[in-house]
Parts: sequence; structure tokens; C-alpha cells
Amino acid sequence: MQISYKPGSGLLHRLNPLTKGTVAFAAIIFFSVNNLSGAVIATIIAGFLLICKLSGVALLDVIMSIRRIGLLLVIVALIQGFSVDGFNPMLAVEAVLRIVGVFLVAGVYLTISSQSELTCFWEACFRPLALIGFPAREFALIMVIAVRFFPVILGEIERIRMAQIARGARLNGGGLLSSATALMPLMIPTLTQAVIRAGELAQAMEARGYRVSAQRTRYQRFRFGFIDLIAASVPLLIFYYLLRPFMSE
Amino acid sequence: MASHVTELKLNNIKVKYGSATLLDNLCGNFTRGQLNLIVGRAGSGKSTLLRTIAGFHKEFSGSIMADDKAFDPSGNISLVFQNPEALFFNGSVGEEVGYALKMRGVLPDEIECTSKKWLQQWGLDPECCWHRHPLELSGGEKRRLALAACTVFLPPVVLLDEPLAGLDVKGQHALADMLKAMATDHIVIVVTHEPEALMTDSSSLLYLRSGCGLWFTPETFLYQALSESDFFPLPHWYSSAVTPFREKPALPRLEAGAVHKFIQEWRRADADKL
Amino acid sequence: MIVFDQVSFWYKDKSETSFELKEVSFSLNKGRINGIVGGNGSGKSTVAKLIAGLIPANAGNLDVEGQNPYQQLHQSGFLAGLIFQNPENQIVGTTVEEDLAFGLENLGLSHEVMHHRIVSTAERFGLTSLLRQPVTSLSGGQKQLLCIASVMVMEPAWVIFDEPTSHLDPWARLDFWKIIDEFVHHHGLGVVIISQLAEDLTRFENILGFKAGKLIFNGVRDEFKMADNDVHEHFNFPESWKFESLMLAEHP
Ligand SMILES: Nc1ncnc2c1ncn2[C@@H]1O[C@H](COP(=O)(O)OP(=O)(O)OP(=O)(O)O)[C@@H](O)[C@H]1O
Ligand SMILES: Nc1ncnc2c1ncn2[C@@H]1O[C@H](COP(=O)(O)OP(=O)(O)OP(=O)(O)O)[C@@H](O)[C@H]1O
Ligand SMILES: [Mg+2]
Ligand SMILES: [Mg+2]
Repeated sequence: MQISYKPGSGLLHRLNPLTKGTVAFAAIIFFSVNNLSGAVIATIIAGFLLICKLSGVALLDVIMSIRRIGLLLVIVALIQGFSVDGFNPMLAVEAVLRIVGVFLVAGVYLTISSQSELTCFWEACFRPLALIGFPAREFALIMVIAVRFFPVILGEIERIRMAQIARGARLNGGGLLSSATALMPLMIPTLTQAVIRAGELAQAMEARGYRVSAQRTRYQRFRFGFIDLIAASVPLLIFYYLLRPFMSE
Repeated sequence: MASHVTELKLNNIKVKYGSATLLDNLCGNFTRGQLNLIVGRAGSGKSTLLRTIAGFHKEFSGSIMADDKAFDPSGNISLVFQNPEALFFNGSVGEEVGYALKMRGVLPDEIECTSKKWLQQWGLDPECCWHRHPLELSGGEKRRLALAACTVFLPPVVLLDEPLAGLDVKGQHALADMLKAMATDHIVIVVTHEPEALMTDSSSLLYLRSGCGLWFTPETFLYQALSESDFFPLPHWYSSAVTPFREKPALPRLEAGAVHKFIQEWRRADADKL
Repeated sequence: MIVFDQVSFWYKDKSETSFELKEVSFSLNKGRINGIVGGNGSGKSTVAKLIAGLIPANAGNLDVEGQNPYQQLHQSGFLAGLIFQNPENQIVGTTVEEDLAFGLENLGLSHEVMHHRIVSTAERFGLTSLLRQPVTSLSGGQKQLLCIASVMVMEPAWVIFDEPTSHLDPWARLDFWKIIDEFVHHHGLGVVIISQLAEDLTRFENILGFKAGKLIFNGVRDEFKMADNDVHEHFNFPESWKFESLMLAEHP
């Protein structure tokens, strides 16, 4: 149960990788900085999920993996919920909804984007910077490896649990907190392991002739279609919303 | 310790991935005292079946029974994954082997002593690899470490996914001996593409083919493989040597000496008859 | 041609107990199937990585087709394709098709050429029906096949296979050897194949045997067959050869 690319032919899958990436980033920024009320955020999330559902995105894995950040959500709810005049459940809910929104968008983005779409987007993002001598392709590569390992690292707790059961461990239910404290000592080795594995992957890419400085061609051809035009309005709307306070003055 | 299981029963197991059915209507028993082998083509669902028994793959219907009780995998299984790296989560070889013991509250001194003995048993020199990172070992050494880490303490059911892959000759012989010893009081289930290496100690073989499970004894499996081309490719030397005698009882193992003796005996018997 | 001249290699720091590849010299030619055998941890994969140019030798000279593979890989693209031992962590793409395309994109080929090569390679390796599948849903054997196909599709001059048959089912193993036979003897591909399977030895035409970082056997198949016991005790010996010699002893 890991977030990973699931091919499909729905509306969202067919978006141009540049549109996909821009929309996803705009949405992530929107969810993290808006100051809308809980009900509005919840409605937006519901609408987003509906669109995903209609265009055949495999939502189950994304939603299941939210469980993995359960602990984080609890902590955020506690921190955000307490204010000068005691615990305000509304604040807690809003904070949690924002994080869930960011997480859902990121998860769905990774589910509908293949490796070459991600590379395409990142290279396009960094290309303007190349003009001022910024190592754009190198950064695109690092981002691609990082994005590939993001779900791996998220899935790591699941993998460790499996490895423990595989050695005859009996998992006694335990609360979220007790299992988290049991896993803490394993976090450092896990990170080391992710680093070694990322190194191995880089080596495998090198062994197939990937050189950062070389010019590559692209197998997939991405079209810019009508739905892209419609989807492009989403980031525009979001930027309008975010800039509105400055414009009214 | 955990209750002893003498038999694992599959009742009408149906395994799915989303809407695709991988295995259907699978029934049968895995027993103690011998090795339970599973063979089949790539993608026939061998690893998935092991994961199902281990409780990792939840999309299935039907029941798995341990001696007339529903089987609860948690705490009762040990599983060596097809990819040994998937099993490592500690920072050093020593911790990796010792983990199963530490989890059971064994004292640190004892853990170290037992783990070292166990590493030695699996052909890893504890002196030079104790502090090394598991991912820096060679392919076969990783396999050995995974086997050691999963067998240092044994629950009633032991599942191994292609344990022979990557092991050298010595390792394969050691593995065969260890499995045989384990099988006396544990249920040992082995997925393999080289059933010939383990057939001597086995009396049941599950062949997964186009969604169904077919049960054989090594004897009937060899017979079937000899008579039906494309059933299972046996090494050419074996099939060409044994095919003329395939109707005779007690087919030999895939071993040069045994085949040679078998052929000689039947040649002699046939010559006597004439 | 691959030439190793007194090549030594060690990982990180050298100590008494750590592994070291000790002054290894050999040369391998195209046109025949070169095999490497040896116990676990004897240095086979290390040699493979040296040939592919992923790690630099600490001492000695090595060249592949007249070039130093390490410098070559970092300056102008690769000489020898390498299929790693562990199929899991060398798949770069998210779908089978994308992974096959990855190497071709690096070669800078046009879309039409890539498409043609991907389709024909997928067909040769029986991956056609899997092209659109995400790689996370492949079985162990399918992953290994994909790794082999992803390198072969690039049509390199040399391919180093590190235990390519370990997770393949017996049917796929037969197909694999058919493909190798065709490529080596009809398309001029240079191959080096590492294997632990005893029966694979019968396919090798030229054999290097390693033990604890030292090259202890270097010769053609028949020499290996005839070698004395202090060579054989370290390596596999196929049952078919044993059977052959038993039958020969019977009817000399
Ligand atoms: N990245 C690494 N860092 C340190 N030591 C390593 C590393 N990789 C391998 N070694 C060590 O080098 C030795 C040789 O490893 P190598 O992978 O070449 O063996 P191998 O012959 O391929 O064995 P196997 O049959 O098990 O795959 C082993 O003892 C191994 O522990
Ligand atoms: N996560 C998944 N989602 C969808 N399909 C999957 C998934 N994992 C495996 N499959 C499919 O299920 C089938 C069986 O896979 P499994 O790994 O059990 O095969 P196997 O018998 O172990 O093969 P091998 O001998 O190659 O290891 C394969 O066809 C594979 O494509
Ligand atoms: Mg498998
Ligand atoms: Mg190796």
C-alpha cells in the first residue's frame, strides 16, 4: 500500500505534465496558506476528491496512506487547537484539514504522474534558472530522485512493521503513540538506508548512460489540450485569491 | 511459547488484486515433517500466496486454518522475502540478526552469543561483518543474512520465497540441511524455481498454473513433467536419459548418480527379461 | 575486448579482514559466452562494476574496447551495459514502457527509433502485455526480465549480466539462453555472465573462477571440465557433466 504511479486514461491523467505540476503546486500553496473557514476547506477538499473520483484516480492508496501521518495530525491539532482562551476544536479541525488537503493533492499528483512527466515538469521549472548559470538538470535529477523516494520513506514504517512481523513479531495493537515510540530508534537506520538506496538508484541510472550534462531526447510526447486550458484557470484563480489582499489597497 | 501447529489448511482461497483474480478455489494442506514446495511460472502468484498466508495481502476470501482453528499469522510466522533487502531495517548486521531475540526479551549477552553462532552457521564470518551495514554486503551475503535473521528464532510456520536465489553451492547445501532440520517441528513452505534441489526432503509440491493450484508428490510431478512437454522444463540431460523409462516406478532424483543407477538397473532388468 | 591488467580494488579502507580484489589479470573477447563463477563474496559483482565503469580501480589498468570505462562513463557515455544483481533497485521508470525508454532517451534517439526498439525488445522478452503496467505491480521474475530488457534495448557493445537467471522461472531461463546465444553468435554482442546456477556452466564457453578476490581459474569450458579437484571444490559442477562422465566410464 504505497503511493505510486497508477496509469489511467481519465481527465486528470491526460493533463499536460506542466499543467499538472503547476496546478498541484498552486493547490499545495493554497491549502497551506489560506485563511478560509473549516467548512469551506472541507467543501473544496470534497470537490477535489469528486473530480479525482470521476476521472478514475486510484484514491484508495492515497487515503490509506494518510493514516501514516496520523501522529503528525494529532500533534498539529493539539498545538493549533490551544489558544489563550482554552481549547478551540474548530481551530484544530481547520489545521488538520489544511494538512490533509496538502497531503491529498501531493498524493494524487504522484499517483497520476509518471517518471517522465515529473522529470519534464522539474526540468521546465529549473530551465529559466539555467540562463543564470544554475545547474538546472542536476537539480531536476535530484528532485526526481527525491520525489521517487518520498513515498518510499513514507512507506518505510509500513515496511518495518512488515519486516518485524516477518520475523515472528506479535504486534499487540498498541496505540498510535506506543507504536511510534517503538519505531523511533529505527528512524536513523531507516534514513541511512534510504540514502544508500538513493545512491544505488543513481548508480543504476548512470549504468544506463544517464549523465547530467548530456542532452537527452524524450520518448513520451505531451500535448497541450483543451482541458489544459481549463485546468490552467485553477492556478490563476488561486493566485488571484492569494494576491487579493494586496490588490484591494 | 506459541502453540504448535501441525497442519495448515487452505479452504477455497481466492486471491485478488483489485478486480483481477490471481488464484481461485485453492484448497489443500501444508504439513510438518517435510518441505512443502511451491512452483510455477513468473507471475503465477507464488509470492502473493506467501504474503497472503503471512497476513500481508488482505484481498482474499476463503479461510486459512491451523489445526481446525483460524490461523492468526501475527507472531506465528517467519517470512524470508524474495528480495532480502526488504527485510533489513537496522544499522548493522549484528543488530539485524539479534533483532528477533531482542524482541523476545533475551538478555544482551545471550543475544550476541547466539547471533554470532547463527551467523557462523549461515556462512557469514561474525568477526568481519558484525558492525557492517546490511546493505553493503554482497548479494549472496544479504540472502544469508536474511535467512539468518528470520531463522534465529522460529515460529511455527516458516515461509521462504526463493531462498536459493543468489546462494553459492555451499550455501545451497547448508540451506537444504537447515530446512530439513527445521521441518521436523515446524511447517516449512518454500517457493522455488529449482525444486530439484529440495525434492529429496519433500513429499508435497504445489504447482500454481493459470489461477489454479495442482498438488503433486515429487514423484508424480517428475512423471508429469516427463510426459507432458511444456508442463515444467526439466534439465535436458535428465529428460533424455529418463524418458525411455518413465513408466517405471520410483523415478530418480535430478542427480547424476541416482539417474545413472536407475538407468543401469532398468537396463539390466529389461535385458534379463529378454 | 575487455582487458584487466593487474587490477586491484578495495572498498573504502583496506584492512586485514576486509575484501580486496587482488591483482586480477584476464582478457575477454566477443563472439563467445564469457562466464564468471565463484562463491558468495568472492568479488564477482565488484568485477562487473569495474567493467561497467561505475567504480575506478585502485591499481592496475583495465580497458574495454581500448577505453578506460570509468573515464568513458563520466565523459561521453557508456561502453558496457550492466544488469545489477538485485532487480528491485535498478528500475528507473514508473511503467515498463517508460523504463525501457529511459536508456534510449539517454542515447538521444528519435521517437520513432525508440518506439521501434521498445516494441521489438518487449516482444522478444515476452513483455508486450506488460508494457503499460506500473513497475510496482510486477512479480520478482518479471522485474528481472524487465531489467535485462532495459539494458538489451540499448544495444550496447558489451553487456554484463550479474546473476540474470536467479529469479527467472525455468521457461524464461531457456528463452534467456536462446536470446543470448543468438546475440553472441549472430549479432556480435559481447557478454559476461555471472551465475550461481550449476547448469548455466554448461552454456559458458569461457570461464573465470574467483575465490576471495583472487582469480583462480581462467580458461575455456573444456579446461574447466578437466581441471583437477582443487579447482572444482570451490565451484559448482553441473549434474549433466557428472552424468556424462558416468556414462562415459561405462562405455569408454
Ligand atoms: N559497497 C560496499 N562496501 C563495502 N564492502 C562491500 C561493498 N559491496 C561489496 N562489499 C564486499 O566486497 C566483497 C565482494 O562483494 P561482491 O559483491 O563483489 O561479491 P560477489 O562475488 O558478487 O558475491 P555474491 O555471489 O554473494 O553476489 C564482499 O565481501 C562484500 O561484503
Ligand atoms: N501490487 C500489485 N498490484 C497489482 N498486481 C500485482 C501486484 N503485485 C503483483 N501483481 C501481479 O500479480 C501476479 C503475481 O505476482 P507474484 O509476485 O505473486 O508472482 P510470483 O509467482 O511470485 O512470480 P515470480 O516467480 O516472478 O516471483 C503478477 O502477474 C503481478 O503482475
Ligand atoms: Mg515471487
Ligand atoms: Mg554478486
